[in-house]
Amino acid sequence: MNAQQPVSIVMIEDDEGHARLIEKNIRRAGISNDLKHFLNGTDALDYLFNSPEGPFHNGPALVLLDLNLPDMSGTDILSRIKGDERLHRIPVVVLTTTDDKVEIQRCYDLGCNVYITKPVNYESFADAIRQLGLFLSVIQVPSNAD
Amino acid sequence: MPIDLRLDARRFNRLALLATLVGFGLLLVAFAGTIGSALGNQRATQAVRHTYQVIDELDALSLAVERVETAVRGYLLAPSPIRAETRRRNEKLIRPGLDRLQAMTADNPRQKETLTRLRAMIEDQLATNDEIMSQAETNRLDSARLEFVERVKIKQIDQIRALEQSVRNEEVRLLNARQSLEGSRRTQISIILAATGILLLLVGAATYWLVRRYTKDLTATRDRLHLLNTDLEAAVAERTSDLQRANDEIQRFAYIVSHDLRSPLVNVMGFTAELEAANKAIGSLLDRAESEAPQLITPEAQYAREDLPEAIGFIRSSTQKMDRLINAILTLSRQGRRVLTPEHLPMNMVINDLLTTLATQIEDKRIDVHVQDGLPDLQHDRLAIEQLFQNLIENATKYLRPGVPGAIAVRGRQSGKRAIFEIEDNGRGVDPNDHERIFELFRRSGTQDQRGEGIGLAHVRALAYRLGGTVTIRSQLNEGSTFIVDLPMTYATEGTDQ
Repeated sequence: MNAQQPVSIVMIEDDEGHARLIEKNIRRAGISNDLKHFLNGTDALDYLFNSPEGPFHNGPALVLLDLNLPDMSGTDILSRIKGDERLHRIPVVVLTTTDDKVEIQRCYDLGCNVYITKPVNYESFADAIRQLGLFLSVIQVPSNAD
Repeated sequence: MPIDLRLDARRFNRLALLATLVGFGLLLVAFAGTIGSALGNQRATQAVRHTYQVIDELDALSLAVERVETAVRGYLLAPSPIRAETRRRNEKLIRPGLDRLQAMTADNPRQKETLTRLRAMIEDQLATNDEIMSQAETNRLDSARLEFVERVKIKQIDQIRALEQSVRNEEVRLLNARQSLEGSRRTQISIILAATGILLLLVGAATYWLVRRYTKDLTATRDRLHLLNTDLEAAVAERTSDLQRANDEIQRFAYIVSHDLRSPLVNVMGFTAELEAANKAIGSLLDRAESEAPQLITPEAQYAREDLPEAIGFIRSSTQKMDRLINAILTLSRQGRRVLTPEHLPMNMVINDLLTTLATQIEDKRIDVHVQDGLPDLQHDRLAIEQLFQNLIENATKYLRPGVPGAIAVRGRQSGKRAIFEIEDNGRGVDPNDHERIFELFRRSGTQDQRGEGIGLAHVRALAYRLGGTVTIRSQLNEGSTFIVDLPMTYATEGTDQ
């Protein structure tokens, strides 16, 4: 990871319970990066593009994205990120309950980096998130500030 | 109105047929008449020819009579053997000629009478000729001449001539009558022929008109039928698309519902796990408190320590069950959305492959499976058919009757364009009251000693419906079950041919 600029994790998840469980398990995996949680797409996009601390103006980031959001579809956010000159290198991990083949394909077509289905079984879910944490701790995220 | 029309049409048809028959009958009569007239004409011609023959014969006779007369007269003037010879020769012709004439005119009483008189006269003439000639030849020429003069005086030859003329006149009269008859016969034939021609034209025209009318009717009927068919097809297509839409809606609904139900379930299970972990920590704390400071443990705390794990256990098993049910709905809805691709399926091979995947269960339970040879082959989606039969055979291996070694028979036959398969077992059977229920989602029957969510048969029925078939059961409790799968031989693409 970039020593000067720690990667901030942006989680877009409308279910607070899921968000809490995801955060808990990421922390348990030993990831202490800053984690911003948004409950809807509008706030998340505002942060990504407009906030002074957001990835558009500042620092590298990684996005955890749920597809079922109250105000817009997660795929819209994905296409906005991947279609932007400055943000398109940000890794996006789609983390959702949908395991529909067509949906998965569409996400990868739009440029999603990882697609993870939330398992209902809690042990597997926790396991998956912890492994995601381990994964996050080793991947290199491009810096888009320069 | 349509009934009246049809009745009218039927009566008209009968009349038309009758008229045509009458027309052809008249034609036949006309033909017979023509033949009859032609025959009559032939008869008239023959009669005319007969008349000419009679006249010829009469001429020959009269010539012979004249020659004899001339020869006798000549001999009396200048006796010469040639003249005697001429007389003898011609006299020989007279009697046969008379015979022939009498024979030819035997049918005419007037001629007969005249000819009898003529014959008598000629016989007399011939007799006097003999006498005159014998006197003349024995040198009594004068006496002969006297006799001849005597005969001339009574004008015997003139009388003969007159009689001959009367016979001739009679024949000419007959000839005229016959010729006029022949002429009228010809006219008659011409008229009949003309009438036949007109009749032929009429019958032909009527037949043509009838054929035209029938053809027109037929064409109109065909067009109307075509129109009806097209309308029907359009109506069916419309209904089918409505159904298709409704079906799609249900599929989507099932998918969304099952999907959105999973989300809260993740939380329930997740936080239950968190609770369990926390409970363990509290439990160990309580254990420690119990050993180090037992006075801190109240009965309530004691209950909490026992109740919490139990409550968590129930939440867990219930959420797990709910998860399985939701997954089942999801699977079914996904199955409904899957695009079916028909291919040729050799059913004996398909069933044997399925049995291989179920081999462990079959061998463990020592079940005897018999698959009939020559099962009808299908043109269907492989996965759908495999799932359908796998579920049925697996059920047969699952629900055995205690103490009875399992036996499964798979049979199949073709019936028209459909294939009918039967999967028979000797297992515990299904109560007739439950025959419909077992095909419903999440419903089961009999002793609940086997794992399962009550999905298999619902899935089987959904698959059978989707393939254009049905599945039914024939069973009594404790007497085994037979599942009957009735499928079209060839899968008709949804919405196009149903």
